[in-house]
Amino acid sequence: MTARQQFIATLLLGVAFLILFRQLEPSNYQIGLMMRCMILMIVTIGLNILIGHAGLVSLGQAALYGLGAYVAAWLAVKQGVQFLPAVIAGVVVTGLFGAALAYPTVRVRGVYLAVITIAFGLVFQNILVEWLPVTGGTQGLIGIPRGNVFGVSLTRPIYFSVVAGCLIIAFIIQYNVIHSRYGRAMRATAQSENAAKALGINLAATRTLAFVISAALAGLAGGLYTFLNLFVNYETFTFFHSVSFLLMVILGGTGTLVGPVVGASILTYIAEILQDLQEWQIFAYGFLLAAVMFVMPQGIVGTCGALWERFVVKSRGRETHGWPDGSVALAEILGPGEESKQIALETKALTLRFGGLTAVDNVSLEVQSGTVHALIGPNGAGKSSLLNLISGFYVPSEGSITFFGAGIAGLPSHELARRGIARTFQNTELFGQMTVLENVLAGFHSHYRNTLAETLLRLPRFGREESQFFSQARQLLKFVGLSDFAEEEARNLPFGHQRRLEIARALALRPRMLLLDEPAAGLTHGEIEHLKKLIRLLAGHGITVVLVEHHVEMVMTVSDHVTVLDYGRVIASGSAAQVQKNAVVIEAYFGHGRVVPTRSPSPVLLDQPGAAE
Amino acid sequence: MGEILQYLLTGLSLGGIYALVALGFFIMWEATKAANFTHGEVYMFGAVATVVLVERGLPFLIAAPIAIAAAAVIGALIERLLVRPFNKEPNAIGWMLTTIAAGIMIESFATITYGPLGRPLHSPLAEHPIRFAGAGIYAQEMLLPIVAVMVMFGLEAFYRRTTLGRAMRAVAFNRTTAGLMGINPNRIALIAYALAAAIGALAGILIAPVVQAAPAMGALIGLKAFGVAIVAGIANARGVVIVGICYGVIEKLIEGYISTGARNAVGFTLMILVLLLFPQGIFGRREVVKV
Repeated sequence: MTARQQFIATLLLGVAFLILFRQLEPSNYQIGLMMRCMILMIVTIGLNILIGHAGLVSLGQAALYGLGAYVAAWLAVKQGVQFLPAVIAGVVVTGLFGAALAYPTVRVRGVYLAVITIAFGLVFQNILVEWLPVTGGTQGLIGIPRGNVFGVSLTRPIYFSVVAGCLIIAFIIQYNVIHSRYGRAMRATAQSENAAKALGINLAATRTLAFVISAALAGLAGGLYTFLNLFVNYETFTFFHSVSFLLMVILGGTGTLVGPVVGASILTYIAEILQDLQEWQIFAYGFLLAAVMFVMPQGIVGTCGALWERFVVKSRGRETHGWPDGSVALAEILGPGEESKQIALETKALTLRFGGLTAVDNVSLEVQSGTVHALIGPNGAGKSSLLNLISGFYVPSEGSITFFGAGIAGLPSHELARRGIARTFQNTELFGQMTVLENVLAGFHSHYRNTLAETLLRLPRFGREESQFFSQARQLLKFVGLSDFAEEEARNLPFGHQRRLEIARALALRPRMLLLDEPAAGLTHGEIEHLKKLIRLLAGHGITVVLVEHHVEMVMTVSDHVTVLDYGRVIASGSAAQVQKNAVVIEAYFGHGRVVPTRSPSPVLLDQPGAAE
Repeated sequence: MGEILQYLLTGLSLGGIYALVALGFFIMWEATKAANFTHGEVYMFGAVATVVLVERGLPFLIAAPIAIAAAAVIGALIERLLVRPFNKEPNAIGWMLTTIAAGIMIESFATITYGPLGRPLHSPLAEHPIRFAGAGIYAQEMLLPIVAVMVMFGLEAFYRRTTLGRAMRAVAFNRTTAGLMGINPNRIALIAYALAAAIGALAGILIAPVVQAAPAMGALIGLKAFGVAIVAGIANARGVVIVGICYGVIEKLIEGYISTGARNAVGFTLMILVLLLFPQGIFGRREVVKV
């Protein structure tokens, strides 16, 4: 079953269950419990997008839930606002708070967001208790009118349908977000920040989006809670409740589609049972959280899924195909390519200092478009630093960088990626828990034109782009011979395949210039031959290739131009043949002294495959 | 004049607690790039365990070291059982959840067995306030900032002068390389968590005579102290102590000049704002990530 079929099946099952539930004429208490449970599911679905996909933890989700509840309650009680506008206002306010809180995580993640969300939760509690005129203090806001929607009074049976409808919407939003470029970008930023930036994914925007979606869903749930309970009180929105939301997500299975629904329902019913434990109730929650972390860190749905994969799904025979596959019409994917004899890249007096160490010292070089330009030099010569400057990972201390005539020094990596600078990494940086196909799709991120609204509503342009990029991604996988591995998780690929995938992913960016950081390291002789062929093929398509490599034999055969660095300075530059004869270069590699004639004095000896910088 | 002096003095005392508890977070972070979110409960444990032992008839000077030693064992256990298995990959978050779970269990267990109400711990230093210039404070309260600064200097000396301390710094700087040099990073982590827990328990014992020991005394202090450590940048002991003491004073000033109710709201909002301005923390270094 594809993900889409699974989603539709789950959705239909859920709707059928709700209809059946109503037909069984449940007691008022049961209806109330079911509605509370559905409201918690909405919060949990939002939190799942944040934790399971964007890899961020919020320890203040209950406060966002409470914010939505209080905004709606205040509007309804004090301003006489009706249900619909009150709930919508709650969603909007909560979403805005989400954006404001997420902003600092742009630069740092993990515990910082945890601290900020904890702090937010405590501030929120404090304000609820102290700001009497607005929040009603410890008593809370009472006497919320039921109100009506479009003239229909919100009686309990009708409200049940409203809550169920909102849950279904939340569930659809979840699916539509995670199976789109936005969801892939979230997972990409969670799994490798560097690779995400290098593919034009804006970390700040992606994380903020995840946080806003999760906050808005919490706000929606809060508004629904207000009109269910008809009073709100600070005690429902404490740190402890934030922790229990986390528990629901983890118990169900982070990052899974139905995990949040499962987790929230189990915990709602467990909470009913635990009430008998009285004072031990809170202890039991703590114990449950710890137990889930130990026994089933993947959660119920995650664990079941893993077992299913292991025992039921038969692995298909997979064959690695030769690469590069010349039958793939690269021009259709990569575009027309540059005209040759332009200056693709120019650096002037480029300098990078780390404290007292000058890693790149006054480097000026020119790279012609459509050529292969190699940067070589002994370990620590500054090659990788130079590459990191060009791709925006480091900010130059001095000097300028021009890319097809435009100054780019100091621009962020994702912006450079969008301008057409793609790169691979010395230690391959794949999105390990995404499939091979998804890795390549993430590379197309910056070429999507459809908006978030189109994605959420699945409008036609979304579908067109999605199928276009899916087929192009498959073409790129065919190009590097990995077609059969499309559905495999990237971390399970053997090393050589990971390198191929990284190149395919970089090509998805449709780069004007491709920076390869030691692509041959760790590859076998056969693979290196294929790599050479690939590099020449790409240059033939008008892509400028900048190559940092220790494998000198490879450098000498594929490069049009070689620049040699030592101690951060350019010590030689010219064609491969010129550089090989250069006395300064020979000295940099071998030291000086009398050259002892041997049987094979060729510079092939410079070869240091796999040497680490 | 007397009023502001009063706020400053009680602020220093409160800040001393934040500083001591935050130092624990700093020590744990250095060793593992993770921390024990139960640390506030360990601080509570120090106070509660001492009160219980003293009630059983042990003299304070024996009860307190036993409580501190027990806290150190708890700290080590937490590292081994709840942090290490959940902190395997960079940016892991599992440890956050397991230690929060443990914190919930410890606090509710204490509430059930010890009772929710605070009980006093007698100290000769907390009987008669010292009065001058219109302000009054117990000598016991002034102990906290003094001990915090002493612990800070002690830690600095320990990190610089002793083999174990240097090994801990090596692990903080680069865990893998330290491992290759024959330092066992797991052992260092265990020691760090025990040390942090001992300091946390010490802080709890020192404040117990003034505030009474209650199961709920730790959670909020723990969260605030973690905030303090993060805002300081978790980079060095001095920064943590400075920010901790300042935060205590600021809280008391807010209480005095705005309102008691606004204390947490304004304090935490300040924390959030500082983090917005200095995402690496005030004394933090920006780390260059090699790609």
